Amino acid sequence: MQQVVENYWMFGAVCLVIALVLLRLLFRERITLQGSMSYLAFLVFLGLMAAFPNVTQKISMKLGFTLMSNFFFCAAIAALAVLHLRALVTLSKVHTRSIVLTQELAILQEKLERLERQQAQPLRAAQGN
Amino acid sequence: MRVLVIIPAYNEEHALPALLGELRALPNLDAQVTPVVIDDGSTDATAKVAEEHGARVLRMCKNLGIGGAVQSGIRLAFREGFDFAAQIDGDGQHPPGELAKLMGAAGDADLVVGYRDKGPTTLLRRIGSWWLRVVLRVTTGVKCNDPTSGFRLYGPRALALFDSEYPYDYPEPEALAIARARGLRVNEVLVTMRERQGGQSSIAGFAAAYYVFKVTIAVALAYVRARLKPRD
Repeated sequence: MQQVVENYWMFGAVCLVIALVLLRLLFRERITLQGSMSYLAFLVFLGLMAAFPNVTQKISMKLGFTLMSNFFFCAAIAALAVLHLRALVTLSKVHTRSIVLTQELAILQEKLERLERQQAQPLRAAQGN
Repeated sequence: MRVLVIIPAYNEEHALPALLGELRALPNLDAQVTPVVIDDGSTDATAKVAEEHGARVLRMCKNLGIGGAVQSGIRLAFREGFDFAAQIDGDGQHPPGELAKLMGAAGDADLVVGYRDKGPTTLLRRIGSWWLRVVLRVTTGVKCNDPTSGFRLYGPRALALFDSEYPYDYPEPEALAIARARGLRVNEVLVTMRERQGGQSSIAGFAAAYYVFKVTIAVALAYVRARLKPRD
């Protein structure tokens, strides 16, 4: 069965727009480069798929997709799932670290206040004399 | 013997004075008791009231939930070399006078859980409590009459374990699973509990059903994770 090679310039354009938004966020320092590298890599990969449909079609046929659009959907969903899971891992780590930091801060603060009170007691006694 | 009494509290300014007063006046307890109130991001005067009544206070700059609050106290007890740490709810449900029973049941146990003879009040809670008992029994082999009880005594081994590893969300049943998986000895003792003197339960209505569902998964996960983790 011969397949018609379709153009996916709209898909590529969407990838480009998202990449531009991502770069804007990077310039404004709203996100870090390290955190967004995987996102950029996926966008470049998906953008290249859209830019070179002949190659993409060969790959999709080898993977058993009869329609190339299904391959696009599948690749995009898989990419988003991986990105989301990575974000979830990062978020969980940050959450745990913030709990530990809050605990450490509270313990140190209490210790500091006790030391300050202990130091103030002899001073007050000396002033009283 | 030094005992740190950990009192996690969120907006408990009304219940704390009586509780701390009872702790100060504890009779027949052969130990040096130090109360520490964990002010878990309260919006009322919990920390101030606790200090005025002679307790040490750890102020959390944000609300961590019961697990994070209790672990702060456990960390403090472990680092300062306390022999035991007792956990008492800040809402006044756990009479400090019953601490002696927990300490009496410590023996060679690392973790002692106080349970009440009269079970949970509502039907939904009774079902939830029964289910959690079954889950704990099946997955970990722990026989516990009230796995959700927050009236507990931690020995040195439990302090060392929970200093580094303590569940955050609904920690009591999970902590039992972890303790069991890491080879700690768990004991329980019948105690008298009161109605809460102030504050509100965080587990009510549909939250109770979600709690049971989540804890069921959490207990199994905690047990398997702790079993797989290499021991120090």
